Amino acid sequence: MYRYDEFDAQFVHERAEQFRGQVARRIAGELTEDEFKPLRLMNGLYLQLHSYMLRIAIPYGTLSARQLRKLGEIARKYDHSYGHFTTRQNLQLHWSQLPQVPDMLLDLAKVEMHCIQTSGNSVRNISADPFAGAAAGEIEDPRILSEILRQWSTLHPEFSFLPRKFKICVIASDEDRAALLIHDIAVKVVRNESGEIGYRVYVGGGLGRTPYLAQEIGPFVPKADILAFCEAVLRVYNEAGRRDNIHKARIKILVHQIGLEEMRRRVEAEFAEIKKTGTLALPAEEIARIAAYFAPPAFETLPAECPEFEVAKRKNRGFADWVKTNVHPHKIPGYAIATISLKPIGKTPGDCSSDQMEALADIMDAFGQTEIRVTHEQNLVLPHMRISDLFALWQKLVPLDLATANHGLVTDIIACPGLDYCDLANARSIPIAQAIAKRFSDLDRQHDLGELKIKISGCINACGHHHVGHIGILGVDRKGVENYQILLGGSGAEDASLAEIMGPGFDTEGIVDAVENVIGTYTKMRKSGERFLDTYRRIGPAPFKERLYAR
Amino acid sequence: MPQVLTANRLKIGEVVYWGGRGWVPRFDEAEIFSGAEAETALKGAADWVLKGEVVAPYLFDVHIDGGHAVPVKVREVIRAAGPTVRTDLGKQAG
Repeated sequence: MYRYDEFDAQFVHERAEQFRGQVARRIAGELTEDEFKPLRLMNGLYLQLHSYMLRIAIPYGTLSARQLRKLGEIARKYDHSYGHFTTRQNLQLHWSQLPQVPDMLLDLAKVEMHCIQTSGNSVRNISADPFAGAAAGEIEDPRILSEILRQWSTLHPEFSFLPRKFKICVIASDEDRAALLIHDIAVKVVRNESGEIGYRVYVGGGLGRTPYLAQEIGPFVPKADILAFCEAVLRVYNEAGRRDNIHKARIKILVHQIGLEEMRRRVEAEFAEIKKTGTLALPAEEIARIAAYFAPPAFETLPAECPEFEVAKRKNRGFADWVKTNVHPHKIPGYAIATISLKPIGKTPGDCSSDQMEALADIMDAFGQTEIRVTHEQNLVLPHMRISDLFALWQKLVPLDLATANHGLVTDIIACPGLDYCDLANARSIPIAQAIAKRFSDLDRQHDLGELKIKISGCINACGHHHVGHIGILGVDRKGVENYQILLGGSGAEDASLAEIMGPGFDTEGIVDAVENVIGTYTKMRKSGERFLDTYRRIGPAPFKERLYAR
Repeated sequence: MPQVLTANRLKIGEVVYWGGRGWVPRFDEAEIFSGAEAETALKGAADWVLKGEVVAPYLFDVHIDGGHAVPVKVREVIRAAGPTVRTDLGKQAG
């Protein structure tokens, strides 16, 4: 993975010390809250319901064992011994105290981490496929471009005060495990007809109160030109994006208002101008230098089949169940990708305790795993496990409550922090996720239902991605009481679509029954082999609505 | 509708309420305003903001149930207690 050079290290350290000075001035009364708020947000520090929340950037969701161990230590030393992995592959600590934050930042800097650009109207943490470097069929590691974009967009002088926040995602496989098209700029690594590798660029995706999927604006951008192209997109947005209304300030609104063709014309004109200067042309040597940081580990030559693994599955039902959903094929024979579910039944989706983080770091060391990945579905991934080690891994995960066999099933629910923590929320998300998970906890039933993605947001800002849930749930405030609307038919995968709202909402108990009702319609109407989403797309919303609102 | 004045402490972010003579951590110690004095109290909170004691003061509605004030919105019930999914944390943890 990428390692800081001396300039990176010095900058992050100095930034923490700079914030120490700003905090001291705030506490001494030399800065008002209005003056201080933008400064704390520039360091990822929000004031939430109960306390300050520190949002820590995890570039493209990749962590080393050393970093994960340090996050566990920081959560124990300064917070309540747990953190919350988010749909942006970041980590949030919900109980930070202002005077201690500079020390937290210094501790993060020790492991090459920070909170810069995790808030504010800037280019946020670059997200990427959590199976990067491991997935079969991947064209190249998407983190190479992610890191190049991270360096380009970090402290970019022209783009430090955009009309609104800006999110970029990179994938390099046909399977989309990163919700590509809900990003402001979405990049897919592709190969053209002559076999050259380049980038297909989409623009204008986003959720919130006005959801859009990103649309293709650059079918094939050559490698050397990708920074010039992204710079052109950002420049057009920075100049023409609305600044008068926060709800209309994202690039998706600009693209929608001027139309994709006009957006393309403006971007291409700007792109041509930038290319003339040549200053943003990306030399092959620089790409190669960054690519070296993401060189694959030294894979052994292993047989594709592992008899001990097959025996362990036969002898142990729990292990076999876990393998069925949480283990995915690796590009190298004898290896596999293991998903560690942070969705134990009845617990908070995405929460991970300090003990769990530290134990996972030890597990990474024990199995020679140099990296762990955070997914936008709020799980973790060990990307390069030997198949022969999977049973031993599972045995270590079970006592840590990290072996829940539910990846991609109905209980693998995305939920934002919601009204239990978040100042913006109108309703709680986590208790709804917990209640649904409990209702569907029977594993045989979960397998019978197959792939089913429930995503829950506690407000219209849609951090819980409800617009792209097979079943989406949106919490609203109805006269002071939590109320939950149900949306169906969304997808954040390669078959991306936006969900449709079904009708009036339900109360906290009613929403769980409503989900069961919707799933009942699916099991009644499905054809053999159809996922929930397939059935919904075939029969449309009417049968679901009819049963859901039957009197 | 009766109202309560609330804010968060600047340093630790803790939820506090105006208790009549100062900021108190418990909702049941909060002063209940029944009329225009609520707005006066909110204006007075600006001094405490300037002094760096609290941030983001605002008023919220309560109703009186059996002689006790109860927040109208779930948001304030949760702020007064802590996360409903972590009853070991926040004010409810004691």
